[in-house]
Amino acid sequence: MLIKSKINISYFPKINRISINNYPNMKKIVLSFLLGLPILGYSQSFQVNLQGQKQTAMGGAGTGLALDEAAVFFNPGAVSFLKKNGVQAGISPLYLKTAFRENGSNITEYNKDKIATPVMGYAVFGSPANRLRFGIGIYTPFGGAMHWKEDWTGKFTVTSLDLQAIYIQPTLSLKITDNIGIGGGLVYSLGKVDLRRAIPITKPNGEISTAKLKGDAKDFGWNAGIYVQTVSGVSIGVTHRSQITAKVKGGDAIFDVPDALRATMPTKFDAELPLPATTSIGLGFYPSDKTTIAVDVNWVHWNKYKELAFDYDNNARIPDTKSPRNYHDAAAFRVGIQNQTTNRLALRAGIAYAMTPVGKGYVTPEVPDADRLLLSAGLGFKASERFLIDLSFLYENVKARNETNIETGLSGEFKTAAYIPGISFSYKW
Amino acid sequence: MKSNFIYKSILAVAILGMASCKPELKDITPTKGSADFSRYIAVGNSLTSGYADGGLFLEGQQNSYPLMIAEQMKAVGGGAFATPFFKDSEADGSGHLVLKGFDAKGLPQLAEQKDRLAVRPGSGAVTLFTKYTGDLNNYGVPGIKLAHITAGVYGNLNGFYERMLPTDAPGNTTPYLEFVTAKPYTFFSMWLGNNDILGYASSGGANPNDQPTPKAMFSGLYNIAVNKLTEKEAKGVVATIPDVLSTPYFNTVTLASLLAAVQVSAPTVKDIYIKTGAGATRPATAQDYFVLPFLSAGLLGVPTGGIPYGLHPLNPVDSRWVLDKDEAAIVADYTNAYNATIKSVAAAKGLALVDAYALLKEYGAGKDVNGIRVSAAFITGNIFSLDGIHLTPLGYSIVANEFIRSINSKYGSSIPIVDVTKYRGVKFP
Repeated sequence: MLIKSKINISYFPKINRISINNYPNMKKIVLSFLLGLPILGYSQSFQVNLQGQKQTAMGGAGTGLALDEAAVFFNPGAVSFLKKNGVQAGISPLYLKTAFRENGSNITEYNKDKIATPVMGYAVFGSPANRLRFGIGIYTPFGGAMHWKEDWTGKFTVTSLDLQAIYIQPTLSLKITDNIGIGGGLVYSLGKVDLRRAIPITKPNGEISTAKLKGDAKDFGWNAGIYVQTVSGVSIGVTHRSQITAKVKGGDAIFDVPDALRATMPTKFDAELPLPATTSIGLGFYPSDKTTIAVDVNWVHWNKYKELAFDYDNNARIPDTKSPRNYHDAAAFRVGIQNQTTNRLALRAGIAYAMTPVGKGYVTPEVPDADRLLLSAGLGFKASERFLIDLSFLYENVKARNETNIETGLSGEFKTAAYIPGISFSYKW
Repeated sequence: MKSNFIYKSILAVAILGMASCKPELKDITPTKGSADFSRYIAVGNSLTSGYADGGLFLEGQQNSYPLMIAEQMKAVGGGAFATPFFKDSEADGSGHLVLKGFDAKGLPQLAEQKDRLAVRPGSGAVTLFTKYTGDLNNYGVPGIKLAHITAGVYGNLNGFYERMLPTDAPGNTTPYLEFVTAKPYTFFSMWLGNNDILGYASSGGANPNDQPTPKAMFSGLYNIAVNKLTEKEAKGVVATIPDVLSTPYFNTVTLASLLAAVQVSAPTVKDIYIKTGAGATRPATAQDYFVLPFLSAGLLGVPTGGIPYGLHPLNPVDSRWVLDKDEAAIVADYTNAYNATIKSVAAAKGLALVDAYALLKEYGAGKDVNGIRVSAAFITGNIFSLDGIHLTPLGYSIVANEFIRSINSKYGSSIPIVDVTKYRGVKFP
């Protein structure tokens, strides 16, 4: 009910406007995919929800299903209910375009074309007859890749941000009864950040100064879930993925400034970024043998992201900065459907609505977030009994948002759309 | 058949998302409203000419606020805009200051750049510049007071005005107001009156030839100027006078900073003695303003006649280095009176008004503009140039946007604003 009231129905006509005339466009885009760089986009602020191709095609829902090996991420408790063991690997090239127009200006600026390529891989072992199963997952639950032109109007706030956290999660899943499974995994997070901006100090040649902050973080967390098959036939899943605070120690601060100021600039920095906890509840409905419906609600504990602070080793000219973010918790609602149309072919579709954790006055051009509508579709093709291919396509429409940032004064309207095709291959035994 | 279906599905899904890859913002169509910008003229003093860093030179002229406004007016029917540029070979114009670095105490080291001056050989008491011949839209004349605009001889007394006139000094007889209105125009900006009080203030109130223009005379001349400029139905914009006491020229050298510098070697010194405009000698207080050139004059504490300068009642700091409390009150009083006149004339004539007094107070107090921290701090504040009174290109761009906003709100036009991040602040070595 909540979902219905929030979805803006006017988005739907876009779906019908399929025209073959756009084919040359697509060719260009496919080409640019191939040229793309390995960076990431985001799905709710800098959270990325592209952890399995089947689930992505179903609006990102899957907490209440024992669908495939990606249950290692979606619900470790459901892993012990998987009928087969398997291994899968996938990729979701992500094309994200943001428009910005400063209030009062007639110029619309766009971010650069960059393709992010989040990868995901899962494996599930152990005898399906046993109560205890093992799994491992590698996925990218957080990331961001926003590259603006070096001379755009918001350059003194950010020119580019590349952020990614790859989680590696060994998992145990135990069927405590025939209908109830629990599971959990330790998460080892490998984080990377590269933030660049212009500095309003003019060099002798008239160019502006720049700063580049680069660092790595290695941190731990966990993921746990419970999966229940009820007598009514509905399956239920509840999961919690813990917060991981990515801590960068001694990251490189590279300032390109006039010679007269070089000695006053920092060379190292420390920073922390909370990668928030996510609590999910999901339901699975099975109206027929061939049809599965998944409904998920995610609650992302963004309120921990209060500020983005940089602690520099030399404060002679650049003070330590504390940029307020003041995010609040935000929910996402997801519905997906899968139809096993033929023995070999499964069709999938989904819709989701993700609420922004970013409050008024805190929207920044590195993550120009707003409430967003997600539409997805996909298919699964069983090439043989053991070998499967899954394809997905996700379209995200982030609402236009006109904001004046309270920290930087940057005032204007953002509008973002993302286009994310994906493919995965699985082998089952 | 089946694979054909799959291909079609993939294609459909891909095209669905790619159909409109670039997110679109609502179209903006700039309009001219009730004004006509086909020939815009800018009437004013140094601020209008693009004067900065203690001189008028090519780069400053290229970053004058009228030129910025005129470029933006082109989106709504604005015509060509001619500035009396210095030639490339004479790009240093009248000469100007550059920042050479910082000394061991961190004090800025300024030097004069005068390799390519535009000074005419054989200049006498009035420095004359290479004549400009060609169209004129920017009539900004550094140094001109409102009190000068009806004087026929002024073309022989100000080299910046003389270079615009066809006749060599001392043969000029055309008053400034006649000259600027001689050719038809459709829109004007007038920012005059600053020098009617600035000369008094910057000379510490000590120059008998540079006293404030009487208030009644200011009011009479302002009406004459506006009546003349509007007599052929042209529309326009006028601006108030900024508070010179808020500029770095009067706030960089403070009693506290002078005492701190002296006490390094003479810890017992508690007072700095000044000669007031009224001729009294007394210890300086925080209400007295030392002028910026006192910093580099290197006089304080240097014995003259055996007595350290400024540190003893018998050898006080000369009145020309100090705008004492009473003189500062005169400056504030005249500035307020002039601004009351400007506001009432603008209202009576239905002209757009830029409150430059309020604008520079607001930005001078510290403000974030598209991620740039600006303030009235000398050098680091980024909006005031090296002379401490005139603006940097960034400062002038902020002024240009305020003119644009004011014109738009008065005449219902939608001239786009300029991107202030494209303009430099203080240039560092």
